[in-house]
Amino acid sequence: MTLARELGKRFLSLAVVLFLVTLFTALLISMVPGDPVDTLVPLAESEEADALKAQVREDLNLDEPLHVRYASWLRDFVFGDERGEHFGDYFRVSGRDPVSNRLAEALPVSLQLMVYSQVLALVVAIPLGVLTAYRAGSLFDKVTNTGAFALMAVPTFVLGLALAYYIGVWLNWVPPSGYVPFGEDPVEHVRRMVLPSLTLAAGQIAVYMRLLRSDMVATLQEDFIQMARSKGISDQRVLWRHALRPSSLTLLTVAGMNVGTLIGGAVVVEVIFSIPGMGTAISQAIFERQYVALQSFVAVLAILYVVVNFAVDILYAVVDPRIRHARARN
Amino acid sequence: MTAPTESETLLEVTDLRTRFRTPAGTVRAVDGVSLTLDRGRTLGIVGESGSGKSVLSRSIMGLLPKRNVTCEGSIVYDGREISSLPPAERRKLWGADMAMVFQDPMTALNPVIRIGRQITEGLRFHLGLDRRTANENALALLRSVGIPEPERRMKQYPHELSGGMRQRIMIAVALACGPKLLFADEPTTALDVTVQAQILNLLARQQRERNMAMVLVTHDLGVVAGRADDIAVMYAGQIVEKAPTATLFANVRMPYTEALLASIPKLDEPRRTRLKAIPGRPPSLIDPPPGCRFAPRCPYAQERCHREAPPLRESEPGHVYRCWYPVGVEPRRDGAADRTDTPTPTGAR
Amino acid sequence: MPEPATDDPVATDAEPAAGTPAETEAPTEPTTVDALVEEVEAAPTRKLGVLGWVSIVWLVGITLAALLASWLPLPDPDRSYLEIVRVGPVQPGHLLGGDGNGRDMLSRVIFGARTSLWISVGAVGLGSVVGGVLGLVAGYFRGRVDTVVSMLFNVLLSIPALVLALSLVAVFASAEQDVSDTRKTNVIILALAIVTVPLIGRIARASTLSWSEREFVRAAEVLGASHLRIMVREVLPNVLPAMASIALLGIAVAIVAEGSLALLGVGVRDVPSWGNMIADGRSDLARAPHIVAVPSIATFLTVMALNYLGDVVRARFDVREGGL
Repeated sequence: MTLARELGKRFLSLAVVLFLVTLFTALLISMVPGDPVDTLVPLAESEEADALKAQVREDLNLDEPLHVRYASWLRDFVFGDERGEHFGDYFRVSGRDPVSNRLAEALPVSLQLMVYSQVLALVVAIPLGVLTAYRAGSLFDKVTNTGAFALMAVPTFVLGLALAYYIGVWLNWVPPSGYVPFGEDPVEHVRRMVLPSLTLAAGQIAVYMRLLRSDMVATLQEDFIQMARSKGISDQRVLWRHALRPSSLTLLTVAGMNVGTLIGGAVVVEVIFSIPGMGTAISQAIFERQYVALQSFVAVLAILYVVVNFAVDILYAVVDPRIRHARARN
Repeated sequence: MTAPTESETLLEVTDLRTRFRTPAGTVRAVDGVSLTLDRGRTLGIVGESGSGKSVLSRSIMGLLPKRNVTCEGSIVYDGREISSLPPAERRKLWGADMAMVFQDPMTALNPVIRIGRQITEGLRFHLGLDRRTANENALALLRSVGIPEPERRMKQYPHELSGGMRQRIMIAVALACGPKLLFADEPTTALDVTVQAQILNLLARQQRERNMAMVLVTHDLGVVAGRADDIAVMYAGQIVEKAPTATLFANVRMPYTEALLASIPKLDEPRRTRLKAIPGRPPSLIDPPPGCRFAPRCPYAQERCHREAPPLRESEPGHVYRCWYPVGVEPRRDGAADRTDTPTPTGAR
Repeated sequence: MPEPATDDPVATDAEPAAGTPAETEAPTEPTTVDALVEEVEAAPTRKLGVLGWVSIVWLVGITLAALLASWLPLPDPDRSYLEIVRVGPVQPGHLLGGDGNGRDMLSRVIFGARTSLWISVGAVGLGSVVGGVLGLVAGYFRGRVDTVVSMLFNVLLSIPALVLALSLVAVFASAEQDVSDTRKTNVIILALAIVTVPLIGRIARASTLSWSEREFVRAAEVLGASHLRIMVREVLPNVLPAMASIALLGIAVAIVAEGSLALLGVGVRDVPSWGNMIADGRSDLARAPHIVAVPSIATFLTVMALNYLGDVVRARFDVREGGL
């Protein structure tokens, strides 16, 4: 049926986007002005340095044309190089150090942070959005909306610094920085993740709440809401059972698209709260000019983002059965 | 079913006034409407768009939004004053005692909830049925409203069904808890011509079987002609003529009703002429004209009509109308001469 | 409004699916209640209002101050005054106190505005021109051009914006040991412009798609106007409000992005910017919170003013699909 064709089209577009994204990241090194090797191996002139440089030049196929470079990068990225490494190496004075180790440490931490903040954002924003729509025009609605509007204008790093200082240092409720794995000490893990998650969630709460409110206000005008009310069921039930799901489509789209903002925000939040996630790894890689590592980090995040968006797109069908039949999206 | 002590009157509305506060001013959507409805009887409410007939039925039920809306007057349902009940008490009546069938089956069923659940929801809520019993009841309901393969329909979503089918579902939803009073708000307007009669017949049959009173709201006199016991014609938020159906059709008093009658399509004509035959538009409900509200469009309007609002007068038992110079009362007291001078409007006679 | 119902083949009532002419002709009635209620409930039509004027005054003020910074009677933003090291507002001669190095905060926040606004306005301006042209062309010609351009937008959107900007700046501006601030500024502008292109481009494309269907555009086509002329004279003026509302929000996002880059250590270093002032003030947060607070408040007010005006433009011109 058309559903299969639709899915096929989506998979094709997914493949093309993945191809171009990896092409961009793979060729990131080639964009470095001058001879990339000098930047990649920032060692003083010496025989070992020259040998390392020559080897790096060969490993990265820097003398080959771009398509060969891309092909070999992609091959290594997917299947691993001759040593089984997928993500290349850090070039250190002490020698080469696989990026995969760092990635294995950093990615789960970032994912934790993002999931916590997204869950927190939705848990706070959905009830607020529903209630402000229900009480549209009331004082509660106006105050909440104004607050949300102001919150959206607070840059993540400002909020992060403010929370770290006032709640972490001044009030001393939770540690202002650092990370403890969940497995090591669950309580401490939560204590340390509260402020970063809150910082990252704040902006999203405002955006989600406002989105849901405006969609919900529109839904509450619908005939089927009148119909549901006329059955005599409680307002609570009308709101949560009848109005929420048809109103949540935009919210879902934006929550999906927001993963990009979330990743960007996580980078900043991690640096502020000294959390060893992808953001810290990226800014370290930039600081140390480890472009091979940077390349891999960017590629991993981009792929993650593309795949999440794809999944969200598929999720629509579950939320709104009408879309299964007629997808009116351009 | 009917307890012996119950009186015949099910619904008595006295001087109902509904106002909307809007940025443009206060809209008097329903302006002093009184009516009574006996058990098992059908009242047809007829009027143009914007005459307040939909607001009227929603006001009686109490379905209007709370903010910026005021509703005054007395509504006695089953011997009980319900207009002053707190919202939670009022809500207990919805579905269980009075229910509503909405105009557009395309938009009045929740698009993301399965048919089955939309029917059983009220059953479980009001009657406290468990899932199994509620499902069985829903199946029986679907069968009784003429839905083929009810088991399969229960699991479908509204968009998978045709318009007529959805209207049947909506009727099933409304009937689910056995209401004594059903409001049918333009139940066939959004439907295809061939389906309209089926739905009206279905409503009539259900009403008979359940001894249920019905308020049938429509813009089409033709719809209520053979189905309502009484007909109330609304114009600009007021009832302008009300009578038992046969009386109304035999002795029209109000020129507006006359115009409505003239616009009922004949069988051999394309059905679309309807109310467009009346020239002009209904007056603003924010600041209605001082005299008779129909005067600006009335072919027989006199000077007095523009100046003084006519009261509701009774011409014979049960037949009331709101007109200074009623149709068919000859000779008119002071307007007979004028009337012959006035060119008879085409299509009105 | 009724969607074509997938009519059930097994339905025994011989009823055609909804959507036949008879149905569409029928007057839809209960508009009375719903339209009235809607009128009351709908968000108030956004007029400029007091907040709008306050926003404009703030933005104009901060822009003028930034432009005229060199001529204003301000202390040198780079000079250290020992007496105001980490001293908060209000000091004689130094209204907003001094930073960790004793540099005048008022002067720095105004010179910082110059950098931050130049970067964000420059980036969004450049991104809007490129994105606008691409979106216009894609939306107008459709077909293959549209496919390619949309794919480009999708790819650019597929890399988280900050990460994309971060890696571009890292690659282009920190290759050599000492990159001049001018070059760094240009690279940041370029990087943020690249991030802006798909945001503006998508809205321009969507808007062009709907406008180029209108009668007056068709009419111009029939009259033999050239594509370029139609795009510039007929379509562009209608697409601009949509672009403007997104661009205003974009400037706000770019200001924050500049700050984030500074915090991550790849921003401009030698001239003050709101971002690097906040980054520098971090270490003194406990002792002298005003060093972070002053540029933070400036950023906050500017972003809020831009968001508000963006909302007003969007509401006034009914811009849909404002996915930022």
